[in-house]
Amino acid sequence: MNGPVAEALATSPDLRERFEAFRNAANEALGEELTAQVRHAVAQVHGIKTPAPAGTAPPAALAYARRIPFQHTAITDEEAAAVVAELGEEGFVAFSVVAALADAECRAEKVGLASLAAG
Amino acid sequence: MSTIPRVSSAVPGELPHFGTVLAHQPAIAASFTRLYGAFWGSDVLSARLKEVARMRNARVTECGFCRNVRFDKALGQGLGEDVVDDIDWGYETSDRLTDAEKAVLKFTDAFIHDPELLDGDAEAALKRHLSPEQIAELGLGLTLFLALAKALITMGLEPEVMDRTVLPTPATSEQLQ
Repeated sequence: MNGPVAEALATSPDLRERFEAFRNAANEALGEELTAQVRHAVAQVHGIKTPAPAGTAPPAALAYARRIPFQHTAITDEEAAAVVAELGEEGFVAFSVVAALADAECRAEKVGLASLAAG
Repeated sequence: MSTIPRVSSAVPGELPHFGTVLAHQPAIAASFTRLYGAFWGSDVLSARLKEVARMRNARVTECGFCRNVRFDKALGQGLGEDVVDDIDWGYETSDRLTDAEKAVLKFTDAFIHDPELLDGDAEAALKRHLSPEQIAELGLGLTLFLALAKALITMGLEPEVMDRTVLPTPATSEQLQ
């Protein structure tokens, strides 16, 4: 998995390696299948077309992920509790990082970060 | 927006905050610390410009914790509260912010708020003031600032009340030795 941020860091290999290690740690903690579905759900909100991944993610988690891009301050305690109930506290922490990072990477793509950084 | 933690602390005897909650996932915490320290330790883009972008992100995402933290390296580069006060709506007319800082702020708004803001003039200004390598580092910073703020807010870790707090700039373990 590359993505616009890693691509932009092509001339900063140390930062690129550290960024990818962070993203990989979050993705591995959440699990490959759920990570793919969360990233797909967030990308859809941004209007970025990605292939639909296979899997049966908990509906509450995907609904929550879709609110991260533009409604992060409106998510209620009840919505969060539903995801914690589905994923557990450890899973919820990983989920929060993966969803927030997915949103940021979509935004990096929307502004053309990789192209800007290529000069 | 909740100020009631939605996750418990993973560190016995300590209250839930970003560090103790992230401790539920040690590999994520360790890799984030390693990355964030290297990012702030790099001088390709000055700490002052990074902090300008971080402050803007704090305001737009409504991250109260982020908004009240200051990193000492940027303070040492002259980023005082009079300048920070201008990182608000209407920053374009500030006479305290430099043209490079205004270009960074416009790109920050495009990144975290509306990509349409990066029009031809904004892109030209960004490229006039920043090298491609600096733009890459700014993009990494915005990615981390935004993700950190949203993760913190959605995990209910916003403080009810918080004074302005100057913290040592994040560093890698190698830099601290």
